[in-house]
Amino acid sequence: MQQPSAESGVVVEDLCKTFKVPVREAGLKASLSSLFHRETRDVAAVDGVSFSIQAGEVVGFLGPNGAGKTTTLKLLSGLLHPTSGRCSVLGFEPRARPAALLRQITLVMGNRNQLQWDLPAMDSFELNRAIYRIPRADFVRLRDEMIELLDLGDLVNKPVRNLSLGERMKVEIAGSLLHQPKVLFLDEPTIGLDITMQKRIRTFVADYNQRYEATVMLTSHYMADVQALCKRVIVIHHGRILFDGELASLADRFSLDKTITARLADGEEVKVSAARSEIAAATSKLLGERDVVDLTIEDPPIEDLIERLFSSEQRP
Amino acid sequence: MQGRDPHRTGAARLALTFLRVGVMNEVQYRVNFFIQLVQSLLTIATGLTALALVFSQTDDLGGWTRPQLLAVMGVFTIVGGMIRSVIQPNMQRVVEDVREGRLDFALTKPADAQVLVSVRDVRLWQLTDVGVGLIVLVIALIQIGDGVGWQAIVAFVGILAIGLVAIYCFWLMLASASFWLVRMNEVQELFDGVYRAGQYPVGIYPGWLKYGLTFLVPLAFAVTVPSEAVTGRLTWQAVTVAGATTVVLLALSRWFWQRGLRRYGGASS
Repeated sequence: MQQPSAESGVVVEDLCKTFKVPVREAGLKASLSSLFHRETRDVAAVDGVSFSIQAGEVVGFLGPNGAGKTTTLKLLSGLLHPTSGRCSVLGFEPRARPAALLRQITLVMGNRNQLQWDLPAMDSFELNRAIYRIPRADFVRLRDEMIELLDLGDLVNKPVRNLSLGERMKVEIAGSLLHQPKVLFLDEPTIGLDITMQKRIRTFVADYNQRYEATVMLTSHYMADVQALCKRVIVIHHGRILFDGELASLADRFSLDKTITARLADGEEVKVSAARSEIAAATSKLLGERDVVDLTIEDPPIEDLIERLFSSEQRP
Repeated sequence: MQGRDPHRTGAARLALTFLRVGVMNEVQYRVNFFIQLVQSLLTIATGLTALALVFSQTDDLGGWTRPQLLAVMGVFTIVGGMIRSVIQPNMQRVVEDVREGRLDFALTKPADAQVLVSVRDVRLWQLTDVGVGLIVLVIALIQIGDGVGWQAIVAFVGILAIGLVAIYCFWLMLASASFWLVRMNEVQELFDGVYRAGQYPVGIYPGWLKYGLTFLVPLAFAVTVPSEAVTGRLTWQAVTVAGATTVVLLALSRWFWQRGLRRYGGASS
């Protein structure tokens, strides 16, 4: 037994999760024969993943659909049992679902809602208070803080079914944080939301992380989320880690060209691409030859980097 | 809050909170009360007609007189209302949640998952059946005319509680089966069909069905035995068997539920 300790964040060692998937060919005959003899195939959703996250860190978890992101989050929150390997969260082993751990984590899934559909969020908050046994005074303080930070106002008094997608996500997040979790697993928290709402939620997560020194693991398809929140990213594909490190160094690794955009005195706009090593030379050349008013140097879009990462995996 | 058994006090508190919030929610939909009341009255009318037909042919059904059978029908209606108001909605939600992967949220909470999924829902207006059933029961008892002592009432309530727990365990096992079978949409119809058999004392059925309705589906303990209690036919044997079976069912259903949980993978997103 390992000793739970307050310092440790998330530790994952050689984690594997294999699902048995029934194999069945199309057609009636095949379906009938599968009634008696069911063939299954092993699919490794998570295939030997190792990483560790310090307490208080915000890590972006990237990968295409079916890469194993959600499976990893489910393993970490105790919903799934690992096929092999180990993981620990705050020093606890999640698979046993110890209450002491569950009281300190939260799982938010952008495409599901856990608040009671027909009830105002306020009532669902009350239910969470009972589940987490939050003392009344703490509960009221935190609830009002969430209402203010997320600008919920009167939304908490309307039945959840009457809220818009974005509003629902905001109350959802508020409800998931009333017990002041130390570790947040956020699975696509901004999916389907408009830009303003995405920003709001992003700011809020950053704020919460600062305020409570909470560890955050975030998956998102929106690179803006990741860029705004996470210094470090873990890229996962086919259940394996392709990259684990600072977002900035991802660009170095693939040495993609940077883009220099210059606005000239006559109003013309010039774009020049240059490799990282030649960026200084290219810039001074441009400044020397043309009458430049304004100049920006941009990293390649993160989407391009990720795409490059995935395609490099396919040709080993 | 930290009592001698914090786990248990937590469960009771949790159940009460959910009940309170659920009732508040149901009160909003007052029209359902009238719909349910009409439904309850229709059902009892159908039942009474059937009973009248039976007793136009005979004065005695498997040793039960007409007013005694009326009492059984009252108990049957009361128990049905309780099942449909608190047991069935929760268990059906488990089946749905397993299929749609929503059980995730119940499992990431620091409360006993079985307790949590068993108290989440309440259908207040289904309790109209309890009211209608009580009226029928009282009328039956007046017809029997022996007078009912307080011991009989205490025994009735106690046995009724045991019977409801047994039915809950049975439903929990049905719901847990969805971890393996995933699609169990018809399970409620199956239960309703079987439950209807409880309208008559299980003793009138042939042997195999009698035992099935006692130990397989614990209907006997939920309806027949409480009816015996209130009509002065209760034996200590019946109480002992009901109690012992319910304890076994409690352990068995919890074991089955936990086995199922281990299989739960959640629907992927």
